[in-house]
Amino acid sequence: MNTVWALAGVVIKELYRRKDFYVLFVLTAVMTLLMGSITFFNDPRIASYLKDICLLLIWISALVIAITTTARQIPAERENRTIFPLLAKPVTRGQVVAGKFLGCWLASGIALGVFYLFFGVVSASREHDLAVIQYLQALWLHWVMLAIVVGLALLGSLVFAAPSSNATICFIVVLGILLLGRHLNQVALQQPEPLRTVVYSIYFLIPHLEWYDIRDLLLYDHPGLRWTDCLLATLYAGVYTAMLLLGAWLLFRRKPLHA
Amino acid sequence: MNRPVRHSLLLLLLASACFTLATLLQPRVATWGQRHAADSLMKVVLGDGRRLFANHFFVQADVTFHSGYYPSIFDRDQAPKGTRHLTASPEDHAEHDPDPASPGREKDEDHSGHACEMSFLGPPRDWIEAFGRRFMVTEHTHLKGGKEREMLPWLKISAELDPQRVETYTVASYWLRNLGKFQEAERFLREGLRNNPKSYEILFELGRLYNENLQDPNRARNVWELGVRCWDERESKKDKPDLLALDELTVHLADLEEKAGNLARAIEWLQRALRASPRPEAVQERIEDLQRRLAAGGSRPSP
Amino acid sequence: MWQRLCLCQVKGFVLAGRWQYAAPQNNTESGSKNMEVILETRDLRVEYRAQNGQGKKVAVKGLNLKVHAGEVFGFLGPNGAGKTTTMNVLLGFVHATAGDAYLFGVSVREPIARQRIGYLPELTYYYKFLTAEELLRFYARLFGIPRAEADRRIDQLLRLVELEAARKRPIKTYSKGMQQRVGLAQALINDPDLLILDEPTSGLDPLGRMKVREIIQRLKNEGKTVFFSSHELGEVETVCDRVAIINQGELKVEDRVSALVEKHQANLEQIFLSLIGYQAEVTA
Repeated sequence: MNTVWALAGVVIKELYRRKDFYVLFVLTAVMTLLMGSITFFNDPRIASYLKDICLLLIWISALVIAITTTARQIPAERENRTIFPLLAKPVTRGQVVAGKFLGCWLASGIALGVFYLFFGVVSASREHDLAVIQYLQALWLHWVMLAIVVGLALLGSLVFAAPSSNATICFIVVLGILLLGRHLNQVALQQPEPLRTVVYSIYFLIPHLEWYDIRDLLLYDHPGLRWTDCLLATLYAGVYTAMLLLGAWLLFRRKPLHA
Repeated sequence: MNRPVRHSLLLLLLASACFTLATLLQPRVATWGQRHAADSLMKVVLGDGRRLFANHFFVQADVTFHSGYYPSIFDRDQAPKGTRHLTASPEDHAEHDPDPASPGREKDEDHSGHACEMSFLGPPRDWIEAFGRRFMVTEHTHLKGGKEREMLPWLKISAELDPQRVETYTVASYWLRNLGKFQEAERFLREGLRNNPKSYEILFELGRLYNENLQDPNRARNVWELGVRCWDERESKKDKPDLLALDELTVHLADLEEKAGNLARAIEWLQRALRASPRPEAVQERIEDLQRRLAAGGSRPSP
Repeated sequence: MWQRLCLCQVKGFVLAGRWQYAAPQNNTESGSKNMEVILETRDLRVEYRAQNGQGKKVAVKGLNLKVHAGEVFGFLGPNGAGKTTTMNVLLGFVHATAGDAYLFGVSVREPIARQRIGYLPELTYYYKFLTAEELLRFYARLFGIPRAEADRRIDQLLRLVELEAARKRPIKTYSKGMQQRVGLAQALINDPDLLILDEPTSGLDPLGRMKVREIIQRLKNEGKTVFFSSHELGEVETVCDRVAIINQGELKVEDRVSALVEKHQANLEQIFLSLIGYQAEVTA
């Protein structure tokens, strides 16, 4: 486990030493504050539009950070040839996959924490109130969802040669699931056989990332989720991530490396 | 001449060339299009493409009004078609809207239509859908208690993106009036009128603001009469004119005149409304009532 | 006998704790040490699927090598001879098609076999956002070296590779020579008993080469085993005790440098060219 943590540590250092995170955070902050500086119809109490925009920017930024950070990990190790001194140490390929996953997930979590802190400050400063339970649930589920996204990008980095193509495909898949995943069963029912079965199978196979988007509950002061539902969603993400990591490990294990 | 001086001179030369070219090109560029001269940043950046986004933000206002409970494009395909909730004034609007002149029939239809449209979530088809619903808003509610203000920014943005979309101004004004923001409502409607000078819809809304909220029936009368003229100008020659708008304008004018004691004028407006109203018999009854009062010598303002 | 001894040592490492094993503990058995086989390949065969998808390419054909403790062993061959493939097998990057390879008597398929080795690859661009100190600390963690011990070794190694002044600077600011030296430091972080160096002086200026040579010499004096590939035959002749020359995946010769020079009455470069068939072509 020490090896996995060591590998994760390098990924986290990479996140805070590269400019990506800062650029995205500043961009989010500037856009939110810019929107916040506008007073619509002389009513300073209006807040949900600002929270909505801020959360949307956080979602986009978190996906960009998680996918781009993960997509470049193993290809960069190969391109810079650091994979060779790494695997020449008593490190297994499984540990590399686990370490990279843990690093990317924790790094995304740290970034997410900073973003949500900013959101909390914006929200509290406008409304002088914060639905703490919904806020924590939204943060937790968002982070849990990123575990699946990181797993997906890690698997993709072993399938696709270029990190850019992997990142693009991951973005399309993740956004596709977030926007359409919930409705695939409806789409399936409108199709003739055998397309119906194919679409329905896809619906059952894809990770349902849309569950983890509870922005509406947070924005419109709906009651929080039941903790058992949170737990079940976490379990689902855990199982799905484990499956993706297993796939990544199996692929990486078979991949010959030529120094 | 040493190298830095040479480089500086070269830089100066290039800057002079840029400046000269700019002065030469400026008058020509002005004839290429109007985008650069646009008064809003959105127009400069997005051009006419901004109109595409305007609808999104208008819908976003509706989503906010329903606290996130809103049909997706897939749900809307299956849901029965109805008039847009924000502009159709269903049950929640009725709570705020004491307007006696609003035709009740539309309200009832919209109410049931809206409820039907918004019951887009049928029973879950599978466990994924059933579990997924625990993470989304599944209750049909409307903002209330002043929280309606939360949808106003979206309407403002929508209007910025598409200033020719009249609906945005009327809906925003409706809610601004309900929230007691009369000055803001007037300013926004005036802005809409500048962008849509012949809009009888905006004029109608402006008249309501003057009449109902600012207690200025004279300005309301002027605005509504202008509205009727605009309607005549724009709609009278059409095969399918917007009769509902004419009905609203004329009925409101009739009410105004009746309150002012100008019964003859009120009858005139109602006779105009007779041709536009979906319930002419009700209008006819009112005309007859007014005629009776007029015959009885009652040109005093109604209580 | 030697194999059993080495296996016991590996087990000893497991029992004694990971980092302790790297200490130069073999001095007590110096009598048998020179006979101890540190690296061995037995009938090693590596086949690749040809890039055009037709048939197979044999990169290494039944290679048998033995490197003893305390030796500096030069592994020579022209480009495409199979040197790197052999190293890849030794490091576990590529699996052998047939035969096997052992480090300290443990099959290279076991990650534990790499606990006591240090590897310097050719042209590696280390994590450029890390400083030399952080990089070495990261590799030390992979070996499970405790922090205090890691700090001591990092100081020692940075002094050895003359990067003390630049230890807090990000690697992205390093010159090529400095990167190669930090690479050498990472290869030594676990105080390895066997060093595998792939073209260690590649791309370095004469001063850089001299420094690397000095370090190898120093390691040799400390009793370390060094297995390295190089194209610099003069350098090999200066540093190595024994050499192996391979061509087209086959071992052509394996002997002491002095013995080869004596036997062929020529310098190492001429012997090398002769063995790979270059001379024959010229004369033909």
